[in-house]
Amino acid sequence: MGTPVKDVVISDSAPKSLLLEKHADYIAAYGKKKDDYEYCMTEYLRLSGIYWGLTAMDLVKQLDRMSKEEVLEFVQSCQHECGGFGASTGHDPHLLYTLSAVQVLVLYDAVDCVDVGKVIEFVKTLQEEDGSFTGDKWGEVDTRFSFCAVACLALLGQLDAIDVDKAVDFVTSCQNFDGGFGCRPGSETHAGQIYCCVGMLAITGRLHHVNADLLGWWLCERQLPSGGLNGRPEKLPDLCYSWWVLTSLKIIGRIHWIDKDKLTRFMLACQDEETGGFADRPGDMVTVPHPVWDSGAVVTGGGVTEGHQSCVLHARRDDPPSGHPTGFIMTGTRDRH
Amino acid sequence: MHGRLKVKSTEEQKEAKRIEQEKKLKLYTAATEEAFRKRKDGEYDDEALKVSGEILYRNSDFSTMWNFRKEIFLHMNDNKNEDELQELFDSELDFLEACLKYNPKSYGTWHHRCFVLDTMPRPDWEKELKLCNLFLQYDERNFHCWDYRRFIVKRSQVTPEAELEFTTNKISSNFSNYSSWHYRSKLLPFIHPDPSSPAGVKEDILLQEYEMVQNAFFTDPDDQSAWFYYRWLLGRGKKTVGINCVCCDKIHSKIIVSTTEPVLVPDTVELKVEVDGSHMPMTWRTASNNIGYSNLWISDIPEDFKISGSCTLTLTLGGSSTSCSCELLLQDDSTEECYFHKDTPAIWFRSELSAAATTTLKRELDSVKELHEMEPENKWVLLTSISLMKSLDSHSYEDTIMDELKTLETIDSHRTSYYRDLRSKYLTENILERTDLSKRCLRLRDVGLTVFYHAKLLPLLVELDLSNNRLTSLRDVRHIYCLQRLCVDDNQISKLQGLESIVHLKEISIRNNEIKREEEFQFLRKCPLVVVNIAGNPVCDSVNVNSVLRNILTGLKKIDDIKIS
Repeated sequence: MGTPVKDVVISDSAPKSLLLEKHADYIAAYGKKKDDYEYCMTEYLRLSGIYWGLTAMDLVKQLDRMSKEEVLEFVQSCQHECGGFGASTGHDPHLLYTLSAVQVLVLYDAVDCVDVGKVIEFVKTLQEEDGSFTGDKWGEVDTRFSFCAVACLALLGQLDAIDVDKAVDFVTSCQNFDGGFGCRPGSETHAGQIYCCVGMLAITGRLHHVNADLLGWWLCERQLPSGGLNGRPEKLPDLCYSWWVLTSLKIIGRIHWIDKDKLTRFMLACQDEETGGFADRPGDMVTVPHPVWDSGAVVTGGGVTEGHQSCVLHARRDDPPSGHPTGFIMTGTRDRH
Repeated sequence: MHGRLKVKSTEEQKEAKRIEQEKKLKLYTAATEEAFRKRKDGEYDDEALKVSGEILYRNSDFSTMWNFRKEIFLHMNDNKNEDELQELFDSELDFLEACLKYNPKSYGTWHHRCFVLDTMPRPDWEKELKLCNLFLQYDERNFHCWDYRRFIVKRSQVTPEAELEFTTNKISSNFSNYSSWHYRSKLLPFIHPDPSSPAGVKEDILLQEYEMVQNAFFTDPDDQSAWFYYRWLLGRGKKTVGINCVCCDKIHSKIIVSTTEPVLVPDTVELKVEVDGSHMPMTWRTASNNIGYSNLWISDIPEDFKISGSCTLTLTLGGSSTSCSCELLLQDDSTEECYFHKDTPAIWFRSELSAAATTTLKRELDSVKELHEMEPENKWVLLTSISLMKSLDSHSYEDTIMDELKTLETIDSHRTSYYRDLRSKYLTENILERTDLSKRCLRLRDVGLTVFYHAKLLPLLVELDLSNNRLTSLRDVRHIYCLQRLCVDDNQISKLQGLESIVHLKEISIRNNEIKREEEFQFLRKCPLVVVNIAGNPVCDSVNVNSVLRNILTGLKKIDDIKIS
């Protein structure tokens, strides 16, 4: 009669140690296969992909394997007259890729190679009357974009350019009965969205709007018997939630509510021993965004370092609950669950 | 794309796949180039729809291509008559349905559908609602589709009552439907509002919900959805901002105000002080001098403002929705005078239950206990029984609650730390309720705390004993602004971070902990410490603690009970 728990079984033969070199090779090779099918099909997120790859390489201290000049030239080519960035040359400007661009520029300490004033102007124009943000001029509203906007501006030291109070009001209007957050007022809670909203509130110094115990409980209930985390109740585990859930817990000071050893076992089992890279769950195909989420999550979970200086935002607020609150600044665009 | 199983393939298979992909890629690249060319040349025609459609059907996350398509439609909007447009948009809806069947979770496709409905001459909302029903049949948890449904409902004025019925039907066909429970939590406060009740819903309706959710968890006690919803029903309403406690410190010439919720002075609330009716100008700051929300606000008493003789100090907190005030009688000979709100701390931890709710909760507890008999290993049942007992009477049920939390640690070992912290919280709340805080001394020793809860509400404590617990950090202690004597002997503390802002700390006892690094003592630098007990920490074996401490703390008189000469 009962619903069976959706989960996976980790086989004994699954990898048990971190194949760091293989992952670095996977990422280093990724950008070189320009006529690869998967590579071409994912052009619509290229700039984000570059940010993920670079951050992962930076985490494993191999950033110098990537061509800085080539990357910066590409980033510059993605900026539009309005100040926003597209995912690739010729693609339309959008907040998602504007944040990725800013992140890459901050990572390389090269913000000055683009027109920063215009970037700020672009972000500013996307704020709506109710405080929300649209991703671009076509009007899709989502709390992901609220996060992108404040993260972008905070990285550029220009948070005051927007109406922060209204932006916060909109995000809190998306809070739900379980303490979590959804895309828009009325939308269901989702771990990726929680990361965006909690991150947004941390950056703006308004974490007191979060009921940390209630939300922390919901988040630690994402851990399944296999050790993996899902993004919503009654769903399969997916490695990307190691990022969304862990960072959210870290920000609200409840990361110890997760069983670290079990999660580590699950994450290591998601590695592809053949090609390098991580899959969403043990035995699946490697996917593009996973390397950085997962190396990031390994770091967050393992407490190896509290965050990488160049891409960490130190939130300005009176009452930091735990460590560096915002960790790595990422965007929640790739959810499919 | 997530969730693709990796299958081992032979060299031939790999080669075949490569050739196949190469072919597909050629077509895809050619189509993309053609679409970009047409856009650049302003060719917003049927051919442009065809070519962008081929790309988007396979790759619906390609947002630029959706934008192109929108431009084409806006162009045609200006150049075709209404019937032509209606037909065109209808076929676009068919195309989108096909795209959604191929990839039901693309943000771009769903958003484009909203665009079409908002742009077309005669949208058929009923048909759209049916489409939602269909896609929620395929996957009842597809949050994109639920969001689209809310969009349709808003545009077409479907009643919230009808939507509530939809969720009832969804739930009766499958209790395990978190999305439906979620939707109910949004609809109920809208249809049956009662701002004074815990969930914002009228009490008689809440009682009906208890029935429904009980049916759900009796049917499937392992399903999370119903339990989370139940927890919400048991929850309490939004807390209001008020004055927690106030201290007028004449020695340091300061006024310290603690609010029940974090505030930003003067942006969200104003704090006004009057002495015997005359206004005293204040400059409020937080304890750490940062700009931001805080429970604690401090201001110096202006130098030229004389508080002499016995007088009355009135503090008023005024915000957009709240206003309250309190009075302190300052005696001529007193150095310090404090005010504590009469209801605190009880008001923070207890939900005010009406008689009807109490009866219901008791009945609920009986049912949950009955389920526990049948399912002794079910953690949801146990946790809910704990919540119910806590709501009903946290003191008389204290032992049972603690025992059940202990059981949870064993049966749900992934979340041991959660249960331990919860135990610490409940225990602290009970002890706080039994403590007279105006004595400004709190003993929480030997009760197994893993974390120190509610420190934010205790800034006026002068003495705190947290010894013999399982604490690993002192971070929370930083909120206790007035603290002078702290004992944390016999814990697992390895860091002293948190103590740097306790500017009145005179005595600290931190024996038998895990302090290893000499650098930790730097956090004590700003404390006017006179007495330090540090024996029994690893750092004592590696460095000369005496000389390190004496270097940092010039006013030190005693270390580990030995006077400093």
